[in-house]
Amino acid sequence: MILGLGGRSLGKIHGWLAVAFEGAALLTGLWIALTELGAAHPYHDASFVWLGLPDGTNFVMGTLVSPLGALMLIVVNVVGLLVVLYSNEYMAHEDGLPRYYAELMLFLAAMNGLVLSDNYLEFILMWELVGVCSYLLIGFFWRKPEAASAAKKAFIVTRVGDVLFFLGVFIFFSSLGHLTAPPTLAGTVASTYPGTSCPASPVDPSWSCLGFTFTLPNGNSDTPFLSAGAALQAANYGRSSWLPTLAGLLILGGAAGKSAQFPLHTWLPDAMEGPTTVSALIHAATMVAAGIYLLAITSIYIGFTLTAAVVIVGIGGFTSFFAGTMGLASPDIKRVIAYSTISQLGYMAMGVGASSVIVDLTNPLADATLNASGVPMFHLFTHAFFKALLFLSAGAVIHAVGTQDIFKMGGLRKAMPITSTAMLVGGLALSGIPPFAGFFSKDDVLGLTWKAATQDGSWMLYAFFGFALLGVLLTALYTFRLWFLVFSGASSRDLPPADEGHGHGAPAALASSSASEAHGGTKETPAGATHSVLASSSAPSGPAHSPAVHSGPRDPSWIMSVPLVVLATLAIVAGFIPLIPGFSNLLPGLSWTVMGECVSHCPSGAAFDPTDAMLGGLSLALAVVGILIAWSFWGNGKVYRIPTGSALAVPHRILLRKYYFDEVYDGFATHVILGISRGADWVDRYIIDGTIRGIEEIFSQASKTGRRLQTGVVSNYAAWVVVGLLAFLVFFLYVVPWLVSGAHVSLTPGL
Amino acid sequence: MQVPVAAYLPEALALAAALLTFLMDAAGVRQRVVVGSFSVVLYVLALISVLGDLSVAPFSIFATVPKGLIDTGAVGPIQFSSFGLLWQAIFLSASLLVAFASLSEGEGEREVPIFYGLLALATLGTLLVGLSADLIFLLLSVEVTGISTYVLVAYARKDARALEASMKFYLIGALSTAISFFGASLIYGAYGSTALSHLRDLPPSATVGGTQMALVGLGLLTVGLGFKVTAVPFHMWAVDVYDGAPDHVSAYLAAGSKKMGLLAVLVVFAASVSIFREGSAWALYVAFSGLAVVTMTVGNVLALQQRTMKRMLAYSSISQAGYMLIGLAVATPASLAGTTIQAVAHVLMKGGAFLFVAAMASIGVGNRIDDYRGLGHTHPATTASFAILLLSLAGIPLTLGFVGKFYIFASAVQAQGLFIFLAIAGLLNSAVSVFYYARVLRIMYMVEPQTSSQGRWTPAVAHLADPGAGSTPPSAGSSKGANLGRFRAEIQALGLARWSAIVACAALTIILGIYPTPLIDLANNAAAHFLATGP
Repeated sequence: MILGLGGRSLGKIHGWLAVAFEGAALLTGLWIALTELGAAHPYHDASFVWLGLPDGTNFVMGTLVSPLGALMLIVVNVVGLLVVLYSNEYMAHEDGLPRYYAELMLFLAAMNGLVLSDNYLEFILMWELVGVCSYLLIGFFWRKPEAASAAKKAFIVTRVGDVLFFLGVFIFFSSLGHLTAPPTLAGTVASTYPGTSCPASPVDPSWSCLGFTFTLPNGNSDTPFLSAGAALQAANYGRSSWLPTLAGLLILGGAAGKSAQFPLHTWLPDAMEGPTTVSALIHAATMVAAGIYLLAITSIYIGFTLTAAVVIVGIGGFTSFFAGTMGLASPDIKRVIAYSTISQLGYMAMGVGASSVIVDLTNPLADATLNASGVPMFHLFTHAFFKALLFLSAGAVIHAVGTQDIFKMGGLRKAMPITSTAMLVGGLALSGIPPFAGFFSKDDVLGLTWKAATQDGSWMLYAFFGFALLGVLLTALYTFRLWFLVFSGASSRDLPPADEGHGHGAPAALASSSASEAHGGTKETPAGATHSVLASSSAPSGPAHSPAVHSGPRDPSWIMSVPLVVLATLAIVAGFIPLIPGFSNLLPGLSWTVMGECVSHCPSGAAFDPTDAMLGGLSLALAVVGILIAWSFWGNGKVYRIPTGSALAVPHRILLRKYYFDEVYDGFATHVILGISRGADWVDRYIIDGTIRGIEEIFSQASKTGRRLQTGVVSNYAAWVVVGLLAFLVFFLYVVPWLVSGAHVSLTPGL
Repeated sequence: MQVPVAAYLPEALALAAALLTFLMDAAGVRQRVVVGSFSVVLYVLALISVLGDLSVAPFSIFATVPKGLIDTGAVGPIQFSSFGLLWQAIFLSASLLVAFASLSEGEGEREVPIFYGLLALATLGTLLVGLSADLIFLLLSVEVTGISTYVLVAYARKDARALEASMKFYLIGALSTAISFFGASLIYGAYGSTALSHLRDLPPSATVGGTQMALVGLGLLTVGLGFKVTAVPFHMWAVDVYDGAPDHVSAYLAAGSKKMGLLAVLVVFAASVSIFREGSAWALYVAFSGLAVVTMTVGNVLALQQRTMKRMLAYSSISQAGYMLIGLAVATPASLAGTTIQAVAHVLMKGGAFLFVAAMASIGVGNRIDDYRGLGHTHPATTASFAILLLSLAGIPLTLGFVGKFYIFASAVQAQGLFIFLAIAGLLNSAVSVFYYARVLRIMYMVEPQTSSQGRWTPAVAHLADPGAGSTPPSAGSSKGANLGRFRAEIQALGLARWSAIVACAALTIILGIYPTPLIDLANNAAAHFLATGP
């Protein structure tokens, strides 16, 4: 239904129409989510049979509003609405706006469809649609080679993950012996409605029409949703057996691709070549969240395989640290935020892994707190708001000063009070300073991971936890490096004069905002931007042209400010949202604690948890330290650059080059894959082609012979008819009786 | 049981279309737009009527007919069943498609009413086949269509090739009809009845060597009707006739009259099970499996070498008949549903393809496959539609052709036993068929259009360039207006009716390919009902 709303605005020209549609979608989404708050069972409709197979298997396009899905609906549509609104000013002077809005709305529609899908097949379709839309949106400035290649890169890298994901789903299917494995859409369903949920004869008859009812070891009959995991368990797979492990790891691969986890993270920073609005929507709040969502809905299943769960924790923890280091070095405002996204996604993945580690296998339905997939989802929820806020603020800055290089900015606080405050809020939330949203959710994720580590006792989990803690420090450090460089200081640093060397035309032409067409090769020229900027992908040092007709950077108009203010508010209050009664239904397993003091939705008998308090204090301390370090280097208008030749220069260079991942992948692609493909080419040319040519030759000869029979003479045709007739008669009258040869009732009873 | 007269509305409409069209001819009303639209409207009404009947639950009713007309004993010769009605809808769609597209043909002196009148008569025959519950009635209905189509092939009286084709068609057709009726008479001798339900439920009379008589009769019937289905080796007429007949008639032969033959074979096949005693019924399945495999293999292999478009399409049509015969040989509800789906697909694919050939011929493109080079650049919309139809014929996913084939093969696998070899043979054949379809695609898209100096179809290019748009190549970012101009020119050149018919075929192929469930449900229900209650 949301799908229809989003889809209908395709091809509409005006952005306001998109706003209206997205607003309607948001209202519907909120309505659905609110219904879900009070619902005894998730709404599930699997009546739409898309394709029925001859053996009775049906592929269903169903609708499922699971708790996590409802949460995602809110996230996607709130951020979507604000971004679409923001686009009306930010993108106002671009070419191809109908295309932009159409793609944006299609993307939102696909995203809504994804969170509402009730089986993996539908999920995959929507997942692919999301991927295609992101490709289109990243490559929106298609005349710019960087954008085109970034789009390609995003598509290809996520495709690597997709292939793994498909394989994982295929294992689900085959282990079920059935082609319609519905998703293990969550323990969430099960754990939200402990004990009573998922009756053997469901209230909604469409549940049973999928035909899966599995008996868990404790005798409970299960809903369709748990079937994949339950079936595997029912088939006596142990927790360490290889098949679920493989499936879990493959699914992780898909999620890692979409959510930019190490080592498939490389596409996300490059994807910043798209319009900033797109970055905010896709690469902060929604699309990358799809991977985490996938992990979350599969978390109980992954719980059946400890290895996969630990690997997820590991990848998440490591990514959170690893991306942070790269964020430290980047001079590009958007890229810094992009790295922070990767890093935060790492936390989420880690949280899902941790919730899988501690899932109670003997009875995943029994205790809601034992499936804690709501914890990382809570982080996803808060993160969506403050990350969109950061991106949109960054967009406002870029819009105002026309460069993405943070070393060229500075002292913008006075000129852009709203933007700088908004970004400060976003930064504090990101760093995890109370009372901003990020504090609560990140703390919960860390607490959960600690719990998993203590429960499992593996040193690896502790190590990953350590990485994550370092990540906290780094987050605060690079976030405030960014903020100080951009906003602090007395006045704007002089923007360097136009760099003729880039030779994209006369500065006068560039200075006008309508110049984007004239120098089609250069980068996005947002509406009011006085300066056209060429930001190459790795070293944004574009020419910034001194403003001739401009009164200096200032805050954007209300169209762009309103989303900033709304998001800033959300970034502050989102952390308290679990306190709303009923909302916890959407976040299974989340207990809202502050410094170990459990305030809401506590597990029974745990009022104060000293460990959690310690963890909270530690992460807060790390964040503050990070901010202080940032202050000491870059605060108050200081510009600290790593001096060339110093001891830090080499690591700095490595970080700038993103650990040479691109080079390694490129090398891999050019040498290994090319080598393989050369070999394959040889095989293809000489063996397969040879065979095919041989076959073709045979067919051609047969064909030529056959053609000779086609004489065009009617009497020959008639002769063939008679030949065919004789063949039939001989077969029926002689061959068949001979074959039957009296063993059965004779075919010639009368003779 | 008394059936309301209104139930015969589709047949009445077809008859009215035929008779009134000939009357129009007599009255001197011969404009294509008048005569053609009249037929089209009546077909649409008939189709609506059939679909309306179909929308109720699966059913079958025997209609009583006055004794003395045809004395068939207990039951009448006419039966309304949802399976028959579904096929009637297929037949009507084929007629509608051809009648509608033919609105774009040029005016002739008396040819227009003759064409539409004969088409209506042929349609009437196909509709009656869908109602048949009696062997004789069935064969007579087949003959109604048969005789109409013999003449239809020759309706362009001055075309020597069409006349030759018609003659061949007629001679082989006459032979086949004789064989069919001889078979029917043997069947009557064996059973003492020609009611299909009787044949199905009771064994042949044992006293007069009935089993052997019935077997010979069945063999003869299969041959006679196999001629209509273009089963190998009774297919040889088809290539010459499809090639020689006017393009729109070829479209009808492939889309309409062949489907009728298929239904007739299906009905006879289902009725003849009783000839075989327990333990030897496999012989029937083996015979039809063999027929299916030979048909699709010969069709595909010979299609490989064809250099002219129509002959290639004719052979591909033969191979498609082979696929559909698989569904018949497997004879499970799913396989019959598959055959039905494939029949729907085939109407769209072959009808659309032959209409494309007609459209191209109308702008001077030659009949050789090589003459189609570069059409993707000059006539983007139509060629894209044709490309979709070819992909569907090859059985590429997301097209209806894939759904039908997939259903047939999957049902063969599901039926287990030796039927799995049918599925394998079908898959191998599909692989072979991709060769010749892909070749056409390559020529249309990868090869540059002929330059006007050598081009046989210069007029088309000139026509396209006329509205001021064609001069810029499409890749160079021509503006919206220019693109619209190109489309308008394309439509003008090919004729609006024909153009939209082709595009509609392609669109339906895709839509039903992506969301085939309604069609599948319909086919499944009807097929299950057919097998449960008989023809």
